Amino acid sequence: MSGIEAVRRIVETEAQAKQIVEDAKSKAEEILARASQEAQNVRHSSTAEAEQRKAQMLRESREKAEADARSSDVETDALLETYKKLFEDRKDVAAKKGVELVLGG
Amino acid sequence: MLPPRRALNWFWVVEKMAESLGKLHNRILSDARLKAAGIVEQAEEKSKQILEESRAQAQRDANDILSRASLEAESIRRSILSSRVRANRLRILEEKNRIVQSVLKSVEQRLSDIARTDQFESTLKRLVLEAVEAVGTDNAVVKVGFRNAERKSLQSLGQTFPKGIKFLADETAIDDLGGVIASDPDGKMSFNNSFKARIERLDNQLLTTISSTIFQTGDDASGQHHSRKRRVAQPPLLCWKRTYDSPHDD
Repeated sequence: MSGIEAVRRIVETEAQAKQIVEDAKSKAEEILARASQEAQNVRHSSTAEAEQRKAQMLRESREKAEADARSSDVETDALLETYKKLFEDRKDVAAKKGVELVLGG
Repeated sequence: MLPPRRALNWFWVVEKMAESLGKLHNRILSDARLKAAGIVEQAEEKSKQILEESRAQAQRDANDILSRASLEAESIRRSILSSRVRANRLRILEEKNRIVQSVLKSVEQRLSDIARTDQFESTLKRLVLEAVEAVGTDNAVVKVGFRNAERKSLQSLGQTFPKGIKFLADETAIDDLGGVIASDPDGKMSFNNSFKARIERLDNQLLTTISSTIFQTGDDASGQHHSRKRRVAQPPLLCWKRTYDSPHDD
């Protein structure tokens, strides 16, 4: 093997080695890009899931509050009905007591 | 052509060079592969770290969103519920107030019609004596006036009082509902014992009596022994202060 041949082979080997490193760098970039994309997906997915859960929580809260409000309406209607009956039953007694108080007080 | 010994040396040198070159070739490639593996390994480590950080951040973001959602949900719940509960509480208070005012109107009506009842004479005497006592003179001037009471009959009732008392019967009901006003002879001191004035003096007690009778809140009708606790326990009524319109106005 001549000296020139030896130098040529070393240059080729260096080129090959450089290519190996370059390939590894490209692969590393791909890995990082993929990781970055995956990270973004994870965050998007998590945020979307949380937003969905939030919407559900708000909807449930609103529905529950409206149901409770309807119950309050029903209870109030019943109470008002009771008051009307109480008034009809006791208005004379109450008026009599009032008159007695004013006359005798 | 080289002499044999020198030729042998030359081949030996060439062989050694080829061997060294092969080793160098392998070494260069081996180093390159090692470096490449390191680069990839480092990238994988970094990738793993990125994903872990991203997951942790995503979790924090999600927790933050849900935490704020929880507050917002509570706020929505309170807003819907409190406005409705407030409206219903108002309906209840208005109804109670309406009922109490209605009974109060009835009380006023009954008082203004007292001249038609058999209680009239005893009531008039009590009102007059109370008023005279309040003025504190034996020569009080007493003005009386009731709806549906004839002046004549009032005058005759006036004769049953002690002689010093000057009895003035009015055609119209005093303060709309009827009653008595006593004053000293100079008119410097007077005591209004009309039904309207009595109602004003008893206002709180009267409303409590009516309310407790209708709604059975357990308040003593006399209104003298209310503990603070019991007063607080009773729901407040709106606009309890009367405007004292005549019951005959409507």
